[in-house]
Amino acid sequence: MKRWLKEDLWRHAIAIVVCFFVLFPIYLVILSALSPTGSLQVTSFIPKTISFHNFSQLFTSPKIPYLVWMKNSLVIAGVVAILSVVIGAASAFAFSRLRFKGKKQGLQLLLLVQMFPAILSLSAVYVIMSRVYSFAPRIGLGTQPGLLLVYMGGAMGVNIWLLKGFVDSIPMELDEAAKVDGASAVQTYWLIFVPLAAPVLAVVSLLSFIGTFNEFILARLFLVDMHARTIAVGLQGFISGQYASNWGPFAAGSIIASIPLIAIFLSLQRYIISGLTAGSVKG
Amino acid sequence: METLFKRKVTVTLKYIVVTFVASLLLMLIMSSFAKREYAISIFLGFALFAMAITYLTNFSIPMKFFLPGMFFLIAFVVGPILYTVAMSAFHYETGNYISKPEAITQILSTGVRPDDNQTTFDIVIGEDASKNLEILASDPTNKKYFISTLTKKIDLDPATLKIDENGDVATAPGFHALTPSEQSALDAQLGKARFAYSSDYFLTIEGGTLGSLKRQTLVYDQATDTFRNVLTGTSYKDNGTGDFANVANKAEILQPGWRAPIWFANYTKLFTDPQIRKPLIRVFIWTVVFATLTVLTQFALGLLIALVMNRKLFGRRIYRSIIILPYAMPSIMSILIWGGMFDTEFGAINHLFGTHVHWFQSPLYARLAVIIVNLWLGFPYFYLICSGALQAIPAELSEAAAIDGASSGQIFRKITLPLLLQVVSPLLVASFAFNFNNFNIIYLLTGGGPSNTLGGDVAGSTDILISYTYKIAFGAGTQNLGLASAISVVIFFIIASISLYGIRRSKVLDSFA
Amino acid sequence: MIRNRFGKVAAAVVATGLISGIVTAPVHAASNTIIVWADETRGPNLQKVIAAKGDWVPGYTIKIVPFSSFDALKAAFDNATALTGPDIVVGANDWVATGAKQGKLAPVTLSSAVRANFTSNNFFDLSYKGVLYGVPLDVNNVAMIYNSKLTTKPTTLGGMVKFYLANKAADKLTAGLCVAGGGMSWGAASVLGALGGAPYVMSANGSVAASADPVPSDVVGANIKALFLDKNGKSNGFFPATDTGCKTAFLAGTVPFAIIGNWEWQDYVKAGFDMNLMPVPGVKHGSNGSAFASVSGAMLTTFAAAHGVDQGAKSLLNNFFGSTAGAVAYQNIELRPPANKKAQKDGSITAAQKGFGKAGSIAGIPQIGAILNGAPGGKSFWDLLPAFWTDVLVNGKDPVASAAKMDTFFQANIAAGVPQL
Repeated sequence: MKRWLKEDLWRHAIAIVVCFFVLFPIYLVILSALSPTGSLQVTSFIPKTISFHNFSQLFTSPKIPYLVWMKNSLVIAGVVAILSVVIGAASAFAFSRLRFKGKKQGLQLLLLVQMFPAILSLSAVYVIMSRVYSFAPRIGLGTQPGLLLVYMGGAMGVNIWLLKGFVDSIPMELDEAAKVDGASAVQTYWLIFVPLAAPVLAVVSLLSFIGTFNEFILARLFLVDMHARTIAVGLQGFISGQYASNWGPFAAGSIIASIPLIAIFLSLQRYIISGLTAGSVKG
Repeated sequence: METLFKRKVTVTLKYIVVTFVASLLLMLIMSSFAKREYAISIFLGFALFAMAITYLTNFSIPMKFFLPGMFFLIAFVVGPILYTVAMSAFHYETGNYISKPEAITQILSTGVRPDDNQTTFDIVIGEDASKNLEILASDPTNKKYFISTLTKKIDLDPATLKIDENGDVATAPGFHALTPSEQSALDAQLGKARFAYSSDYFLTIEGGTLGSLKRQTLVYDQATDTFRNVLTGTSYKDNGTGDFANVANKAEILQPGWRAPIWFANYTKLFTDPQIRKPLIRVFIWTVVFATLTVLTQFALGLLIALVMNRKLFGRRIYRSIIILPYAMPSIMSILIWGGMFDTEFGAINHLFGTHVHWFQSPLYARLAVIIVNLWLGFPYFYLICSGALQAIPAELSEAAAIDGASSGQIFRKITLPLLLQVVSPLLVASFAFNFNNFNIIYLLTGGGPSNTLGGDVAGSTDILISYTYKIAFGAGTQNLGLASAISVVIFFIIASISLYGIRRSKVLDSFA
Repeated sequence: MIRNRFGKVAAAVVATGLISGIVTAPVHAASNTIIVWADETRGPNLQKVIAAKGDWVPGYTIKIVPFSSFDALKAAFDNATALTGPDIVVGANDWVATGAKQGKLAPVTLSSAVRANFTSNNFFDLSYKGVLYGVPLDVNNVAMIYNSKLTTKPTTLGGMVKFYLANKAADKLTAGLCVAGGGMSWGAASVLGALGGAPYVMSANGSVAASADPVPSDVVGANIKALFLDKNGKSNGFFPATDTGCKTAFLAGTVPFAIIGNWEWQDYVKAGFDMNLMPVPGVKHGSNGSAFASVSGAMLTTFAAAHGVDQGAKSLLNNFFGSTAGAVAYQNIELRPPANKKAQKDGSITAAQKGFGKAGSIAGIPQIGAILNGAPGGKSFWDLLPAFWTDVLVNGKDPVASAAKMDTFFQANIAAGVPQL
């Protein structure tokens, strides 16, 4: 008992303080989502009246195609997460396992390219995609496939870099054994590496899923049509309007939008921790 | 046998994929070529060629792995970067957005001025017997009616016409009105047409039924590349930086101008113009402080929690689930909520502590708020990293040290921390680079403010380089894309050298190269 | 072997090329479609009006593209090119100068019947260097509302302050006057006006009096000291320096006076408030603080000509945006004060819409982007006024000195802006 006090009490104290820090804003979001006026103004930390109006509005108001936005976000983020990891993993594998000239320079270049302030190349991306629109309107500016292509480009650098870290942590012996058996690099990749790295690929997919899910600066330029918007654009629209800020529906919408992410996170907790550190420990 | 079969399947699959992508590219090349987007078709052509070489021969094994990733990187990351670099060499700001021919067309069209009375006519668009475009114009107030072609004006006698209750005529002998769909098919032609009226004035069509009396006040002489105002006689000449300027008074320019190459002028401005240099230096210092403090606080809190929970603890799973919430929640939402919480009058933070702090009005508090919010957003990441890394440090090391009589503080300082740092330092560098360009938090939380505007400051006290540059490029008022591009190129060099230095020191690249 | 492979692939490329033609199949609307961009409130309402009656321009179809927010619309228009840009954009009047300089807006000529529907101030708002670029759509303004459950109609600013200080504790007031709509620069301009300042002084003939002092610093400073500050030079809480939470506080009955926007009055009606609208009263009895009464406009772009719908777009401006029938049909849904004079008198326009129109006509100044957006390399009115509030109400700086500083910048902006008009 005494030992428990001495050893663990302070640990609990710190953990509880930090948990309070973490939960405080989240509690306020819930509070304003449940308040009938839907404001962030705090008069009391205990709600006097609880109303689900903000939530029901999301699903009943014809002005807010919330479920469509949610579907768009899940589809776009899902496709980007899968494709960018599939493509990125191949490059990461090559960086990690193959010997070729200019590998170090290639890696440095990859790192540098990521450091360019991407927000400034916004107008360039816009111009490129509006040109693409002129000859291929289905994949150009203003379309979801177009946005997807741009996201793929943006995700590539980070993903290759992260994945390379993970690949490095997979023991060399396995693919060396395969090499002895006469497998080519391509076969080693598909038959040995991909199955082995599956959990790691899942983690990186998840990270790029979240990144894409949150993006709104490009998305609000690309996805103009009400039914093509993503959840981030839709939510930002609630509060960044020139004329009004609707904190209530924003808070309610954010809570629902967080649920799938949090669910994935909590259920994959162990994977994520091991996946993240796998990359770093060896790095 | 089985592997042979597998091989056949995978090879066939490969051909299907390669074929499909190749035909897609070919299609795009053809249509982009048809639309004269030559740069894009050349790029796609290269991609197609590279793909054929790579996947149909054994020319280079690594390329088989790199090609798809390279395609996306070049198209959507490297391409735009090069474009931005190119922009930085141009006089490219509000007033100088378009190409020179476009600017000339535009100046000519704003030089078409209505007469002083802004005379308009009700018109019917039609054609004569030989299909030449003409308009039938009515002036109901003065009871004047005429037909105007591209070359001549034919006055009509009101007595011969059927005038409706508005005083307009709908038809005249020999005149065939166009149907709406015929008109819309001729839209471009109608927009350019100038129908005869008098020697100075002509009629333009302003929508299906409205004709307006106009004159050309600015004329362009291609041979000398000058504009001349026919009313005042003033000449305007290309001033070399993208505008037509009054020969007599250089400050008077015609709008719009065009993007003119000015080479390094945007860069020299950065260092010579005190209006730009001073705020830039201040913003740069805060950017470095912000990124450093962010990384340190995030890492410190993450490490603390990791250490605290680095043993079996009742409820650890619950703590951990709560602590990773900020990482899993949409960051736009969290930042905006925090923004509301810091409000002076109505915010939760002042309410909770019973204070009356003007968070976003005072530079110091605003900076503190930015750091606190960023700490909330980022420490779970470092907690996850550190707790993983701590588990990977062999327990024997610290046990051995403990047997040798080292205190827990000594063990941490001498053994755990160095090992940990070795592991996480590349991530610290990466996080520094990320926060150096962390646009979202500044844009959404403080918008860069507060700024001592009355004291003459252009940049806000929480503006970091990227948010400041964004303001220059896309803000209200004058937008200067050329200057903004120059700043981003400079930012790029700074951050790249910091990171390369960090990477070199931590030897991440060496171990595999 | 290789040749064989290439042959097979080439054959297949041709075959699948036919299928992948889908990607490049044009989804362009037919060339006679007029594309109109608008923000998140006007866009959907315009869509409804066009859906109800779409034949405003015979021979063309009209497509309204609503953006997710005003910011997004502005960002998209800033980046727009002829390839993807709109034919008409519905935007704020201060876009005119920028759009014209960027070569994105095209000159417009209106019929005499349409011109008669608007005031010359309206056209001035949408002109740059004497060239008109659009049709006025709705009046953009704010007005002050008072809570008649707490107080009676005020006559002077001093009276409002007195009421606040006297009833602060009893009524649990969190502020006296706050800005609920329009922000601390655009919306709060009328408070500066009530204190005796202005972004620029208008002369009787409707032009800018370039030599007049916009912010007489001793007058404005003395008024702030007397009304907004306590003995120690700290804010007395009457006028908060930020607009956050103002709307909620007014609706909750803890603020007696608020400046509200004409786009959001329905929220107040829904909450049971009467539309007690008026300009912000000045220091002297009978004077008022002028608010911006600008118009938003439907502006013609140069892209329309590139898309081959220039004539159609011009017809749409005359037949729909400029006509009384169009304005009434639209404002019955959008519920803002119409700019169109005849539509303002129409029976279907609500009292609140008319109330804002009246407040604007009693005390309204035109919104001149060329001056307000700042001299090149200088500071805009939009940044200066919020900074002024912060300096005097939060940072405890001397009001006279701060007003003098602001005055200097305003004068520089006037000097740079007036020649551009």
